[in-house]
Amino acid sequence: MSHEAKVISPIPGVFYRKPSPDKEVYVNEGDSVKAGDTIALVEVMKSFNEIKTEISGTVGKFLILDEDMIEAGQEIATIIEE
Amino acid sequence: MTRYEYGGDEFIFVELSESMDMETNFKAIAITQKLREENIPGILDICPSNASYLIRLDPDLVSHKELIAKLKHFEETVNLDDLEVSSRIVDVPILFDDPWTHETLMRFRERHQDPNSTDLEYAARINNFESKEAFIKAMTDAPYLVTMIGFVPGLPWCYQLVPQDEQIEVPKYVRPRTFTPERAFGFGGAFSVIYPVQGAGGYQLFGIAAAPIFEKEQRNYDFKNEITYPKQGDLFRFRSITMDEYESIRKEVEAGTFRYQMKEFSFKPKEVLEDPKKFADDVLRRLYT
Amino acid sequence: MIKVIQPGIETTVQDIGRIGHYEMGMPPSGAMDKYSFHVANYIVGNEENAAVLEATYMGPELKFEEDAVIAITGGEIPPKINGEKVGTWEAIAVKAGDTLSFDFVKMGARIYIAIAGGIDVPILIESRSTYTLCAIGGFEGRALKAGDVLKIGQQKEKEAEIGKRVEENFIPKYGKMHEIRIVMGLCSYRLTEASKRKFLEIDWLVTPEANRVGYRFKGERLDFVEREQPFGAGSNPSNVVDLGYPIGSIQVPDGVEPIALLNDAVTGGGYATIATIISSDLNKMAQVKTGEKVRFVAVDIDEALRIRKETKDRLQEIKQKFA
Repeated sequence: MSHEAKVISPIPGVFYRKPSPDKEVYVNEGDSVKAGDTIALVEVMKSFNEIKTEISGTVGKFLILDEDMIEAGQEIATIIEE
Repeated sequence: MTRYEYGGDEFIFVELSESMDMETNFKAIAITQKLREENIPGILDICPSNASYLIRLDPDLVSHKELIAKLKHFEETVNLDDLEVSSRIVDVPILFDDPWTHETLMRFRERHQDPNSTDLEYAARINNFESKEAFIKAMTDAPYLVTMIGFVPGLPWCYQLVPQDEQIEVPKYVRPRTFTPERAFGFGGAFSVIYPVQGAGGYQLFGIAAAPIFEKEQRNYDFKNEITYPKQGDLFRFRSITMDEYESIRKEVEAGTFRYQMKEFSFKPKEVLEDPKKFADDVLRRLYT
Repeated sequence: MIKVIQPGIETTVQDIGRIGHYEMGMPPSGAMDKYSFHVANYIVGNEENAAVLEATYMGPELKFEEDAVIAITGGEIPPKINGEKVGTWEAIAVKAGDTLSFDFVKMGARIYIAIAGGIDVPILIESRSTYTLCAIGGFEGRALKAGDVLKIGQQKEKEAEIGKRVEENFIPKYGKMHEIRIVMGLCSYRLTEASKRKFLEIDWLVTPEANRVGYRFKGERLDFVEREQPFGAGSNPSNVVDLGYPIGSIQVPDGVEPIALLNDAVTGGGYATIATIISSDLNKMAQVKTGEKVRFVAVDIDEALRIRKETKDRLQEIKQKFA
């Protein structure tokens, strides 16, 4: 039985899937992640804040496009817990 | 025509002139000095600037309308012949064309008017100097009046004491830099500045000051009472130095033994306005004897 | 003593600010939402200018190593003690060993955490406020970090009544669309009449560049009246001979993105300023988030003074109730 959980950004800002423009994305859809892994960045007030998954599992789907603006509390990805 | 403007409910902004000249700056000093002498309760800040001034007030203690009436009266009655500017003549050593600002300006080349020159080369050319050496000589021959303090704590806007037609003028960067090193010597519009701390900035970068103008640790002599050094009305002479002298000053600063070469001095605006060249020579003679 | 377990994004020590040093280029810093700042101190029985914590977007996680009385005001970032929800805008007793943490932000952008006695940091130029740009004031001149230890001060005037809450109608509410009142002026003569109107008609989007220094907005280009640039101003039509910037003033570098200058902003420079946010609405501005919208509403000086008095009277009324 798998359960789908959502990763939420606690803060508003610009959403990035890469640690920096010339690096690879943190994770791809389908990758497995452990609780505490960083899956994205949100930039606000000139600071970059790591968004971490609280559960282990497989990355389901990113709900936001790279470099889009997001609101505080917005869902950014799903993690399938196994 | 002077503009009296409300800056929300806590500020009054007075623009004496849209363009810069020394007489307007002296007028801003004279009016704000007069206001300061009145000691009116509820005036929180009096900030003379280049061709304007800004006042912060507590409207619960002083009325905007009454204050503006008073300021208009000052503007009409103030006489520059009565103004005595208490000043300091200061030797400010600058290392021109230094590696640190050079590294910075190369990094932000795409934000500059002329990506193929350095800031010095570009500014020398548009001001019709044959070489950057001749340009540096012109910038360092005559002293500057500190006409305004602001932007960040202690940053001095310096206006050179030369006739209007000899004033150097340069544009600011097309898009401001996100980084400027601490103590960078810059030029924008008709003003030279020293950046007290590192940060964003849009002025052309020509060099770096050896000594600080902001020192929050208050280690060196000139910072014992305040964390910033420049004051409006100061006369700064930017002196071109070698890397050797730069390094020896840096050592003194780090040891806490640096002290600006400075002479206290007071003058009347008339002396500057009537013959800036003679005044400048006199200032330099006083500083170095 | 209070131990910082997690600092949040930007949590700083702030009081009323460093007032009276604008001439040397020193911005006031201080709490951005003064209304919430004052009320937080009233609730815990502090002196008027006791230092509090200001947290943006995310609350910190704090471990109390001694008993304390606290109050949380400002926007809504729901607080918890040892994981249990507690109230805001009221006096809360915290025991030694308790941990204060927060949920995600629900409303507004900034909260104020007052502690009876105030936060004890050294006074620098008459204030305890943090000014991070020059790394002065507050806790070591910077935002809090995990592992920092805060001391509680002596700025308590009276014992707080635990559980006593500010009445609902005195608690501001925030949506995602904000009306911010301004006084047009300063160098607004530089804008064309059409652009002055446009400035007041657009719903301006708050960009991610929105912090204690200033808020940058996206909308449409504003145009300046054509002129030959005066001597000393610089070549861009948005340039003026460098002048002082009022706190809350709005400038439009190159006509592209307006910037409202706030508590930690530069005090002067060479861009034409076109309007100033009235002091009461600087409180509201502090509660605006990146991604939300702002409409500027012009008021005249008399209206600005009337609103100022109204805000002051409301604060006075709250103060009386907690006296």
